[in-house]
Amino acid sequence: MIVYRHLPILPIVLPFLGAVTALVLKQRPRAQVVIALAAMSAALAASLALLVAVRAAQAPLVFQVGGWSAPFGITMVADLTSALFVVMSQVVLLLGVVYAVGSRERCVGYSTFYPLFLFLATGLTGGFLAGDIFNLFVFLELLAISSTVLTAISDDRYGVEAAYKYFFMSQVAAVLLLLAIGALYVSCGTLTMAGLATTIAANPDRALLPVAAALLTAAFMIKSAVFPFHFWQPDFHTAAPTPVSAMLSSVVVKLGVYGFMRLNTLLFVDHAHLLGPLLTGLGIAGILYGGLGAIGTHNLKRMLAYSTLAQVGFVLVGVGWGTPMALAAAIVFAFNHSLAKAAMLMLSGFVASRASVKSAAFEVVTGVGRPLPFAGALFFIGALALAGIPPTNGFIGKLLLFRSALEARQVWALLAIGAAAVLSLIYTMRAFMRIWWQPAADGITTKPYGDRLYAPALLVALVVVLGIASEPLVAVAWEAAQWMAVPELYIGAVGK
Amino acid sequence: MEVLTAIAIGLTFAAGVFQILRRNMVRAVIGLMMLTNAVTLFLLSTGAYDCDTAAYIGPVVGVRCDALPQALILTAIVISLGMAAVALALLYLNAKRYRVCDSDELTGLKR
Repeated sequence: MIVYRHLPILPIVLPFLGAVTALVLKQRPRAQVVIALAAMSAALAASLALLVAVRAAQAPLVFQVGGWSAPFGITMVADLTSALFVVMSQVVLLLGVVYAVGSRERCVGYSTFYPLFLFLATGLTGGFLAGDIFNLFVFLELLAISSTVLTAISDDRYGVEAAYKYFFMSQVAAVLLLLAIGALYVSCGTLTMAGLATTIAANPDRALLPVAAALLTAAFMIKSAVFPFHFWQPDFHTAAPTPVSAMLSSVVVKLGVYGFMRLNTLLFVDHAHLLGPLLTGLGIAGILYGGLGAIGTHNLKRMLAYSTLAQVGFVLVGVGWGTPMALAAAIVFAFNHSLAKAAMLMLSGFVASRASVKSAAFEVVTGVGRPLPFAGALFFIGALALAGIPPTNGFIGKLLLFRSALEARQVWALLAIGAAAVLSLIYTMRAFMRIWWQPAADGITTKPYGDRLYAPALLVALVVVLGIASEPLVAVAWEAAQWMAVPELYIGAVGK
Repeated sequence: MEVLTAIAIGLTFAAGVFQILRRNMVRAVIGLMMLTNAVTLFLLSTGAYDCDTAAYIGPVVGVRCDALPQALILTAIVISLGMAAVALALLYLNAKRYRVCDSDELTGLKR
């Protein structure tokens, strides 16, 4: 039945089958919940098996869909980086489903919520495992539509507006990506990433290659909300329903970052010395803009959305430097940030659900946390993780980035990283104090019921565990970065 | 012939970009659809000019045109159909809520 060689496609097919089944069983909400949990658990198991298999094989695992061989068939490639990102996203997505099951949002009760969530999972996982740029485009579109509709059905009354704004930008990104695909096809004659890597490396001066690189960079910048193209992001991540917002701000933004990694290390290796400094500069701009923007917000979820801007900037700085240590740092940072950010957003949704009016605005949630000490402890640990303080996993990511900055001799980046850590302490601790330490204003009481805390508690537990026992993750990330430094490994695996 | 097609595609792009940047939401979405059409034509033109016979039709005389871009275009058309439907639905909901089609009026989300 399930053959070893099908492993690269299982994490995509399982959520998809779950989504279709949940859609068919629209009239039975409890069956939908069971299917969603089962599908995501199975996908998590499959992705862990995939990671183990890729490490054991010491080469990327390739699956040709339908048996058609490359370059005409659709290739799914599970590199160590992809497998690691897939595991990260399945963990967060499964806990997102757990949170949705335990939450009291009205939109979770709609018959299409779980199918859309599972389609989001499919699109995201497919994007990480795509071995073919056009396939990446298709999965990105699936992801965009699912996340847009999930935000549009949000309980937040501005969900539709935020969804419209995001969708517009996302369509522009899709147009740019298609243009890049056309340009790459004309100039290289193939669309598989391995084929492109070989062709571009053979002759880096082909016509239309700079155009394709620029368009791809722009498209990924829009998708992962990198500094000048991020304006859709605070609105979108704020207005989305809490389980969806936790997914969007933590794992969906990593798809663009993953695209940048592939651009720099696989496709445009000879042009990486041009792309790298651009990414580093944009990353630093994003770090400062996100940090300063977060301080100026009046809404907890919005603050965390701006914080994502800053943290994605960190990852980009690592990707931009390009050394194996910097890439490993970027991977570890991305993994740890996903867990921490998802936990924080779920906690902010929890706090909003316990406030008298369901909103995460600071004036509504001030003092709400008094009877909720456990949530306060979780939020505090999550805030430490975002700021990069031991014993959380955020410290490990920041430490690796510091070391790679020292190795690459980039002093300005060190200053920016330090400034961003201070800024993130400022805004998270300010939020913590407003919610848990200040007495509530007169009209504000805490509702005795609200969302459940199982999912954020598990995520924060993972944050602490990965902060203390961080060696396995760092070892795998280091190995993944070594693999990325040798594109022939990827190309050879697809070629045979 | 390539020059004429290139100019036409360029004009469609220009029109699409101009429309996207307009204040009226309906015109902006129309611009989006024009852009996707222009990209579709661009993809078509990548496989249409180095050959003598059309991709699927008739016996081969000389070099047959590349059929892969046409497969890409079919996928892109279907995807842009779905995207146009969702974009128009969102546009309709927003216009109904704010009672105008003016994108400057979408001011619900402030800090």
